[in-house]
Parts: sequence; structure tokens; C-alpha cells
Amino acid sequence: MKTKKNAYQNPRFVIALILLTAASLYGSLDLLISKVRLYPDSPWNDSVSIHEKRMEPLKEMLPPAGSVGYVTTVENEKFFSLERNFQNVELLGQFIATQYTLAPVFVYNTPEYPLVVGNFLSGPPDPIFLRRHRLVPRIDFGDGVILFERRGES
Amino acid sequence: MSAVFIGVTLVHVFFPLRKRGAFLLKISLGTGLGLGITSCVLFFSLFIFGPRFALVPEIVLVIMALVAWMFMIKKGVPAEVNLSPAEREKFKYGHILAVVFGISLLSFLVSFAVSVAQEPHGKWDAWLIWNMHARFIYRAGEHWQNYFHSGLSWTHPDYPLMLPLSIVRSWCYMGAESLSVPIAIAFLFTCALIGLVVSSLVMLRSKSQGYLGGLVLLGSPFFILMGASQLADIPLAFFLLAAVVLFFVHDRSSGRRHPILIMAGVAAGLVAWTKNEGLMILFVLILVRFFLVAAGEDGWKGAVKQVLWLMAGLVPVLLVVAVFKMHLAPSTDLFIDQNIQKIWARLTDLQRYKAILYAYIQTGLTFTQGIPDIRTGFRLNLGTAGIVLLAVYLFLSGISVERKDRGNILCVLILTLITLGSYFVVYLITPHDLGWHLATSLNRLLLQLWPTIIFIAFIVARTPEMVFPSEEHRRRETGAVLDKAGKRKRKGE
Repeated sequence: MKTKKNAYQNPRFVIALILLTAASLYGSLDLLISKVRLYPDSPWNDSVSIHEKRMEPLKEMLPPAGSVGYVTTVENEKFFSLERNFQNVELLGQFIATQYTLAPVFVYNTPEYPLVVGNFLSGPPDPIFLRRHRLVPRIDFGDGVILFERRGES
Repeated sequence: MSAVFIGVTLVHVFFPLRKRGAFLLKISLGTGLGLGITSCVLFFSLFIFGPRFALVPEIVLVIMALVAWMFMIKKGVPAEVNLSPAEREKFKYGHILAVVFGISLLSFLVSFAVSVAQEPHGKWDAWLIWNMHARFIYRAGEHWQNYFHSGLSWTHPDYPLMLPLSIVRSWCYMGAESLSVPIAIAFLFTCALIGLVVSSLVMLRSKSQGYLGGLVLLGSPFFILMGASQLADIPLAFFLLAAVVLFFVHDRSSGRRHPILIMAGVAAGLVAWTKNEGLMILFVLILVRFFLVAAGEDGWKGAVKQVLWLMAGLVPVLLVVAVFKMHLAPSTDLFIDQNIQKIWARLTDLQRYKAILYAYIQTGLTFTQGIPDIRTGFRLNLGTAGIVLLAVYLFLSGISVERKDRGNILCVLILTLITLGSYFVVYLITPHDLGWHLATSLNRLLLQLWPTIIFIAFIVARTPEMVFPSEEHRRRETGAVLDKAGKRKRKGE
């Protein structure tokens, strides 16, 4: 008996169902496979966790609240713009991760503070830069992490 | 758990429904609303009493929720809300759909777990904004308000606190920070959103429609990745869909309906408490809803009544947002260093219009695929669930709209258009580099609307039950038709 419902073209609906189901299943399984493939390379070994481990000894030396400056291998003014131009997100990421680790201490993107956090992953700090900003190493924690004090301000 | 308990209790008191899909709907709604409401309570508590007694109001709420359950058990559950019947029939191949959904769900769980293991602190914005704010608030103790005045504008201290305070309250209960908390909250919101899509479609349409909606959401890799990223886009998407679903349920029901509107008001308010763009979405939603109801059967009187009930749920949450914005939050970065001349120059730059339109089309077609590699650009993959797949499905399956749903469908379509239009204007006037701003945010803004779009698509699409009824239904239909024919024959005789 041909009802109003059966008059509709069932093959189209079958195709629709199969398409939708197959594409959705493909999407979720494709993601699963790509995720699992990456897993052995980086279990709980992400950049933020690594950075936190590096900064932990410095964090213990800082007061529970207050403000510190920050220096790294590139001039402070550059690393926000480098990220905006998709050129280098690593430097900005390191700065943000430093603040993330040291909160509630405020980390400012400038060397103009009595205490300054130094983060030098790609090599030692430029001595001319340090002299210009009157930065003297107070404690070297190794792995490029140095706590500076500003001469004449402690 | 106390947040979920409070949320589920509230939902059950306001929404005492016993229909197919209702249990999952209540759990899903209760989880998200509970987390949102308890973050509001914590904010007021911190603001008025300080950190020492921050959890006291919530403990009072838990006791009230326990009393409410005892009252409900003793007196019996309040009167039910009646919905017009959704499809009661079974789809012949429903079990296949259920298995496929199950596989997709399992795949999601594993992908989520692996994503979390790879990035336990979440993606960039999680540790730049949400988890960062939680650390500032929790670690600073009595001085929790200091970071709002710190001048660290790059961490966006103007952003609302739903997510950070949800994290902080769990740390307060635990007495210590733990990475597991933001992960658990991200997991709860993601699962609640999946549950909301599935259960609302099961209740309002059919079981198979629920599975299909859930399949499309689980088949969107970007949704799963953002779920695990500990960002606020998934919670915002949840609250938006919750408000929309509750509007649908309200209009379909014929019993005691006003509590549903109160809950919708709470959900709508929590959209604004989650992210800054939520304020705009909230106002558009309420306005469009008001005018559509006024233009319908209920008229202006009915529209005003509905808005008043909405306000009953909305105002307490908006109060939280208002206090935060007026007393704590600095100016948003979109308006820093802006003046009329700069804005006018951007508004009259045709290249910006072209760039934004192009990004809309490109991102709109591809955003569900995953996180794009900015260096290689977007590539369309039709094999993934997305707008194209939904459109093709609707074209092939056909549509069948319940009369009572028409107003709300129109409401959501208008809301989507106005929201996308508003984002267009924001991108036009943004002080940030346009390419950077589009690349780092547009896909997430679209993701906020995606679950609601999926919901609407399957509210209008024909259900498998309509096209492939079960044998039992065929026999019943055949029997009914024969009965009718027999009666006509006897009448004629």
C-alpha cells in the first residue's frame, strides 16, 4: 500500500544516512589514529611541564607576592610582534609559561625591576645587554635559568 | 561533585520530566548549569566575604539541595511537564546506529585521554588565560583581586570568571592545586555537551535522530580537540545550546512551563559569564526571542510575560557579570588605543571586508576538521563532519518541521546570522593584526555555534523512523488502514 510516507524516495535517505554515518565515523577514527600515533613520542612531556620544572627552583627563591622583570635572548619588545607575524611563538610561549609558573608573582616584560628572571635556552646572556641594564646574576639555577638583581636597586 | 549535585537537583525541581531521554538531559543540563551556578556563588562569596569563607554559601546550597530531594521523595515529584509526543516508533536499523555511535563515543574517550596526556596544561589560551587566572586567584589568597590591576593586559584579566572560578572552587575543596581539576572540568563540559545534543534530540525528535546528532558532533575532530584543550569555548557552546533546548522544550510543553524559562534564563546568563562575546550573544538571543514570541500566538503580553520569567533566572547571573565588569575587570583589549579616526579608517577599508569574508567562507567550510597549520593553510576535507555534510544530509533526507518548533528555529537562525554579523564588525575594527586575529579566533567562534547548528539541523531533518518504520509499526498502520476501510464499507452498506 503506497502511503504518503512511502512515496518519499527511500534510496536518497539511505544514501544520506550512509554518508553521514561514514563521514562522522571517519572523522572520529581518523583523529584517534593520528592521536595514538603521536602518543609514544610525548607522554606527559609537553613544553609547559618542562618549563615548569626548569622554573621550579627559581620560584622557591622568590617572595610569595610582588613583581619581577624578565629577560631572554631577544629584546623584550620583539617577542610579542614575532608571535603576531607567526615567526616565532616559542619566545612568547616561554614568557607566558614563566608567568604561569611564577603566579601570583607578576612577571613583567622588561628588565627594569629590582629582581629579574633570566631565561636563556639558546645560549648565555649578552654581557653588553646585562651591563646596559645593570643586571648582575644573583643565582644561576642552571639550564639557562638565572635570577638577576639590578645593581643599585637592592 | 557538589556542583553537579546542585545542578541536577535544580534541573529536577524545575524540570520534573519523565520521558525518553529525560534522564540524560537532566544529567547533562545539571552538570553544566551546576558548574556555572557554583562559580557565580563563589564569585559573590569571594567578593563579599573573602577567601576564608568562600565555600560556605555553596555548602548551604548543597544542604538546601539535600532538603529538596528529601521533600521530593516525601511529597512526590511535582507535576510533570507534558511534551507533545516525539517519534515513538523504532527505526528498523536503530541497533546499527547505536553500535556506530558507541564506537564513535569510545574513539572520543581515547582521543580525549591522549590529548590530555600530550598537553595536560591544555592549549595556549588555557595556560595564558583560564588556568592562569585560576592560579592568580587561588595562590594570592586575600589579595586575589590584585591581578586585575596588574597591568598584564596580554593575559586578558577582563575575561569573565566562570571557568577559572570553577577550577578554584575544586582546588579549595581539595586544599591544593591539581592539574586534574581543569582536565576534569573540560571533560565534564565536553561530555555534558554531547549528552545535551543526544538527549534533547531523543526527546524532541527520535532516538535515531539523537544518535545521528551525537555522531556528527563526535565526528568533528575540532570539537574533541577543543574539548580537551581546557578553553572556554566548549562551556560557552554548552550554555548557548542549553538555553536554546530549553526554549524548544518550553514551547513544546503544555504543563507547568515557567520554571523551564527560568532555567533558560540561567543558561543564557551563564553564556555571558563564560566569555566576553557571550554578552552580545545573550542580548541578541533574548531580543530575538522576545520579538518572535510577540509576533506569534502569544502576542506582546505573552512575550513580556516570558521575558519576565527569563529575567528571574537571568538577573542573578547578570548581577555577577555586572559586579565583575564594574568593580574588577579592566577595559577589554579591543577598545584599548582606539579612537574614532582609527575605527573609521578600518570601516572604510574594503580590503578588510574582502579578507574577513574570505576567512568566513574558508573557515566555515573547514573549521570542524581540526586545528589548522597556519603555515600550510586550510584544506577542505569533505570526509569530515562539517557544514557541507550537514547541508547534503538535509538535502537528501528532506525536512519535516513540528509546528511548535518553527518560532525557535527561526530564532536560532536569526541569532546565528546576527552573531556572525557582529563578529564581522569586531574583526573590521580590531586593533590587532587582522590576519592574526582571524587565524587565532574565528574557528573557535564558529565552534561555539556548531552544536546548536547540529541540533537545529536534526530538529528539521526527517527522522529515520519516518522513512523506515519498524515491522510492528507497519502492521499497526496496515491494521489501522484496514480498520478504516472496513468501517467505511460498513457505513456504505
